[in-house]
Amino acid sequence: MSYVPGQPVTAVVQRVEIHKLRQGENLILGFSIGGGIDQDPSQNPFSEDKTDKGIYVTRVSEGGPAEIAGLQIGDKIMQVNGWDMTMVTHDQARKRLTKRSEEV
Amino acid sequence: MFSRNHRSRVTVARGSALEMEFKRGRFRLSLFSDPPEDTELQRKLDHEIRMREGACKLLAACSQREQALEATKSLLVCNSRILSYMGELQRRKEAQVLRKTGRRPSDSGPPAERSPCRGRVCISDLRIPLMWKDTEYFKNKGDLHRWAVFLLLQLGEHIQDTEMILVDRTLTDISFQNNVLFTEAGPDFELRLELYGACLEEEGALAGAPKRLATKLSSSLGRSSGRRVRASLESASGSGSGPILLPTPAVGGPRYHLLAHTTLTLAAVQDGFRTHDLTLASHEENPAWLPLYGSVCCRLVAQPLCMTQPTASGTLRVQQAGELQDWARVHGVLKGTSLFCYRQPEDADTGEEPLFTIAINKETRVRAGELDQAAGRPLTLSISNRYGEDEVTHTLQTESRGALHSWMEALWQLFFDMSQWKQCCDEIMKIETPAPRKPPQVLAKQGSLYHEMAIEPLDDIAAVTDILAQREGTRLETPPPWLAMFTEQPALPNPCSPALVAPAPARTHPMPWGRPRTFSLDAVPPDHSPGASRSVAPLPQQRSPRSRGLFSKGPPRTWLQSPV
Repeated sequence: MSYVPGQPVTAVVQRVEIHKLRQGENLILGFSIGGGIDQDPSQNPFSEDKTDKGIYVTRVSEGGPAEIAGLQIGDKIMQVNGWDMTMVTHDQARKRLTKRSEEV
Repeated sequence: MFSRNHRSRVTVARGSALEMEFKRGRFRLSLFSDPPEDTELQRKLDHEIRMREGACKLLAACSQREQALEATKSLLVCNSRILSYMGELQRRKEAQVLRKTGRRPSDSGPPAERSPCRGRVCISDLRIPLMWKDTEYFKNKGDLHRWAVFLLLQLGEHIQDTEMILVDRTLTDISFQNNVLFTEAGPDFELRLELYGACLEEEGALAGAPKRLATKLSSSLGRSSGRRVRASLESASGSGSGPILLPTPAVGGPRYHLLAHTTLTLAAVQDGFRTHDLTLASHEENPAWLPLYGSVCCRLVAQPLCMTQPTASGTLRVQQAGELQDWARVHGVLKGTSLFCYRQPEDADTGEEPLFTIAINKETRVRAGELDQAAGRPLTLSISNRYGEDEVTHTLQTESRGALHSWMEALWQLFFDMSQWKQCCDEIMKIETPAPRKPPQVLAKQGSLYHEMAIEPLDDIAAVTDILAQREGTRLETPPPWLAMFTEQPALPNPCSPALVAPAPARTHPMPWGRPRTFSLDAVPPDHSPGASRSVAPLPQQRSPRSRGLFSKGPPRTWLQSPV
């Protein structure tokens, strides 16, 4: 789906609630992300539009909280707890997902 | 304590006077001649001693840090081997003397004890996860510490080592690509695994500074780096003897410390990957401390010889089903968990299909002789297997009483082996022959073409030309030839990756995006070249020259992935 800034986006969006798992002193979600506005989008194997610089799920660890919640590999992440994920850098995306204060 | 006439086992303390006596070759000569396996061991011992001298000389002579690391590692391995061979020699001599001086009646054990067959044990795909603090891993704060690590594996008196791998905080696991194979292992083997690490200090200007200046400088540096510098100065001036090193002339250079160890036995053998716990042996104050997660993941397989080699073979007569008097002549070969019956002896070698196969496993019952047997045919063997509800019995007849006895003996030995080797006898576990060890790669700091192409020896020329064509192809896209005036040297490091791309020892070749860098504990590690750098970076040379000098940033060339 191509995202033209300024035009409304038509997409099927699904809300997924992932409960973070405590592993030692870290809270993990159990998946890996790729992408970002500072990354090269042509290397993204999941996006249909190769200029899409959004955040995609590249790997879901087995039995982890993400898999249990129904997140699948190749999904594009649009928002996290109200924070936008379509126009963020890779590091910003990672930070928004790994906030210690949030458990879900 | 030692009493005069009582033989007791002695463990040779490392670094002790007794050990020095051994080194000088002054142990008491045995009154009896050495059996052949002792001379073999002696030869290996001499070889290791020579290797050790060579390693000492190399260490004294080498200038580059990586060479020093490799030389220190060989030294450590040689020392461990020498100690284990000496211990083994001592044990054998003791056993020999005990045998020959005769035994008191109460000492004699059962006359013919059955010993289980030997086997081959192979450990491969070793992976040790690391546990960095997230501030270190993600934000890349502070100086980049680097460590050199390797594993020492010991089974019985055989010691083998893995290659040495450089680790820094961009790696999430330490992965060793080696397959380590031990032959001549018994089912009661204990495979001891030891992880050694040495901290790589960045040699700065302080290396040659006089001591007072250095202490002043180190106290005025930041706390952690100053502490490090002081520790390295102290360790360099002290004598270099760790727990393993025999007293050698004080050699400067890196010191390896034991970081963790564990022992694996038959219970850990499985045809798949398993995770085992590591016993951590060092703590934070140790300069070479690495944040280990505390476990090691590997594939440990064992192939007992009874499964891979035929244990008995000979001519047999098999009673055909239904016909009591009709006996067919076959050539039987007992191998693994089956008795293969071939039409002719040559068929077994040529790989022909056997006429039929009789399974022999833990449930099989074997009887000599038969109940309702006509006189004149006493040399029979019956083998019964239970398949579900039915019981299938094969009756075999041997040529002579001696042959019957040897078949029975072979079958009993097989049953004993199966009871000892347990899960290894269910199915043959595959052991891949270890690839010849590549010589340690020269660590180059700049990215030249050769270092960025990981060419496996198995690749044919087509693969190589493909890689080259791919590279040339992208370069052809660049604009007109007058821009070729600019040299191809990349001036800027890749500015887009949030983490600094530390000069990796061996760059990875331009793979497609894939290859997640973090592994869950039980996943199969993909095969990748050691020292994978964090960004899946194609070469800076691919960047079009147009971007240089005009913009400060080029188009992003990475597609990072991070676990969350």
